[in-house]
Amino acid sequence: MNSLISALHKGIDKSGIDRTKISVPSDIPFVPGVIKELGVDYFQTPRGRAIAFGTGLKLGNPGLKVIPVVGDLMTLGGNHFVHGGRRNMELLVLCVNNFIYKKIGGKPTPSMPAAFSPYSTFEEPFNFPHLGNSCGAVYTARWTALHTEELAQSISEALHKRGLSMIEVLAPGPDYYRDINDIESDILQFYYENAVVKNNEDPRNVAITPDEKIMVGKFTDKERPTFIDSYNVQHSKILKDKFTPHGTVSQEQKASGDKNV
Amino acid sequence: MKTDPKGVLTGSHELSGNHACAEGAFAAGCRFLGCYPIVPALEISQRFLERAPAVGATFIQMEDEVSVLAAVLGASWTGKRSMTVTSGPGLSLMMEHLGLGVMLETPCVIVDVQMVGPGLGIPTRPSQGDMMQSRWGSHGDYEIVALAPSSPQEMFDFMIKAFNFSERYRIPVAVMSDEYVAHLVERVVIPPADAIELVPRRYYKGRKDNYLPFKRDKDFVPPMVDIGKGYRFHVTGLTHDNRGYPIMFEECQEYNVHPLVRKIRHFADEIVEVQESNLDDAEVILVSYGATSRAARKAMEEARKSGIKVGSLKLVTVWPFPEKRVAELAKRVKAFVVPEMNFGQIVLEVERCSYGAANVFFIPHGEKGVEYTEDIQAVIKRAVQEKNIKDGVIECVSKGV
Repeated sequence: MNSLISALHKGIDKSGIDRTKISVPSDIPFVPGVIKELGVDYFQTPRGRAIAFGTGLKLGNPGLKVIPVVGDLMTLGGNHFVHGGRRNMELLVLCVNNFIYKKIGGKPTPSMPAAFSPYSTFEEPFNFPHLGNSCGAVYTARWTALHTEELAQSISEALHKRGLSMIEVLAPGPDYYRDINDIESDILQFYYENAVVKNNEDPRNVAITPDEKIMVGKFTDKERPTFIDSYNVQHSKILKDKFTPHGTVSQEQKASGDKNV
Repeated sequence: MKTDPKGVLTGSHELSGNHACAEGAFAAGCRFLGCYPIVPALEISQRFLERAPAVGATFIQMEDEVSVLAAVLGASWTGKRSMTVTSGPGLSLMMEHLGLGVMLETPCVIVDVQMVGPGLGIPTRPSQGDMMQSRWGSHGDYEIVALAPSSPQEMFDFMIKAFNFSERYRIPVAVMSDEYVAHLVERVVIPPADAIELVPRRYYKGRKDNYLPFKRDKDFVPPMVDIGKGYRFHVTGLTHDNRGYPIMFEECQEYNVHPLVRKIRHFADEIVEVQESNLDDAEVILVSYGATSRAARKAMEEARKSGIKVGSLKLVTVWPFPEKRVAELAKRVKAFVVPEMNFGQIVLEVERCSYGAANVFFIPHGEKGVEYTEDIQAVIKRAVQEKNIKDGVIECVSKGV
């Protein structure tokens, strides 16, 4: 988590986006001090629902940059992610993948490759970048917790992408669960030895398996109209000048100013 | 605060309950709808979608009802009045975020057009089977405001009430319609915009770096800010202190959750609304809400014609339940008769609040439609003749009355 947070700091700085316009709905409880330091608005949602919550935030105020940080992405958050990608909602999804449910005693998640659990899980894990790419995400990348600089660079790039971007962050599980899940070496050491940077690799080939090297890098970078673009185009086409495009600030709103202050 | 005239369709219209609901929402300043299509609530979202561009409202059809309410809560934090419409199965899915909405104290409105349940039930028949779910469905302790309209006109009026309650108390408010009201077409009079009074959101006015998202004012309601204005706040669905930081001790549970309950219970007298008729000399009182109150009113008029002293207590707010009023009436009447389109939900509240002072008869009404009142008539007669006070709810099935 530490490296993710420092990468978030650096990434936001690099992107040059005003931090007050950034909001982070997350199903992972951050330490409040960290959020304060980060200088963003933060919501903790139920497990996996950060993307759905973020969709409401983005639609309610299109000027926001929304960064859902999701731990439960492919289980409870699966459908939200799939549809977020399909409609290309402008969100930067940071998926923190440590292969286990940390809070409830190290049970394996659907992202765990076969060798990482006591009797070996027997289910195939998800390949997040491939799934994101096929659902229509405009940007997919994967970095381990050791690639702080690259992760920060990815975050700053993705913040300027128009559409759903997804960055998978391979994070270490705590040591206690390492024993339960029968991971022999230190997982960071494992990442260090096994991560190979392969930018622009076809996302179909980047599944994490116990026997092969972990491929990291930026896999997808494309352009597609976002949800709000399509919403505006469709309504303008039918309603012509009766329709005020969503996300533009009207004269009245400008005149009334900031009602909070 | 006066409402924005853009959303108000002033005049007299023939509207179905569902269409009146959408118009009520616009009149109440609602500018965001999250929805997932479901019969019998479909026409609300259709009407909303049709009119939204002209009014300047946004909508999204999400992937399921779980995400619908999540998106609605998110949109509400951006300062938009937000709502969702659904029916029984959708409401079941929304329970997770209803709890979150209560915990984050997020104003929003949930319209539930009730259909017959459980499970898949009958999507095209009316029911009042979700009344208890709206109150107790999510885990943990909370209080909610629920309104039950009985006509398209009330549907319109109650939407405005619902948004006002949600902003005043910072809670999700449920409008418990049903399939009968939803598809009933009646005349609805929409007043001019300057006659519609809205309760404005309570905004924090102090310095930006001093903002505490859950510091309560004297009404137990914390003032709110919009997201993205530089307040840099931290809110969590975990038990939290007034900074919005998670603190998971029993003391904090008391500090955090007790006010969620108290802010409604303490002001119950201000929220509770009932419509009373012929209560002065009544021996038997019909307690009803929503569509069944139409049958109850008819039954009361017919019974009055045959000389039985019957009164009517129609619940506008089902939650919080008008406990004091029912207890007061129980002391001076023989019996309450409660027709409901379910197998006994609000009748349990009536029985609880009558404290053994009056008989409580229950009629699982609605099998033959809301216009049918023979079963209510029969129970009224039985209630008048009953000499002793019996324990518990006396259930009267149509055949063996």
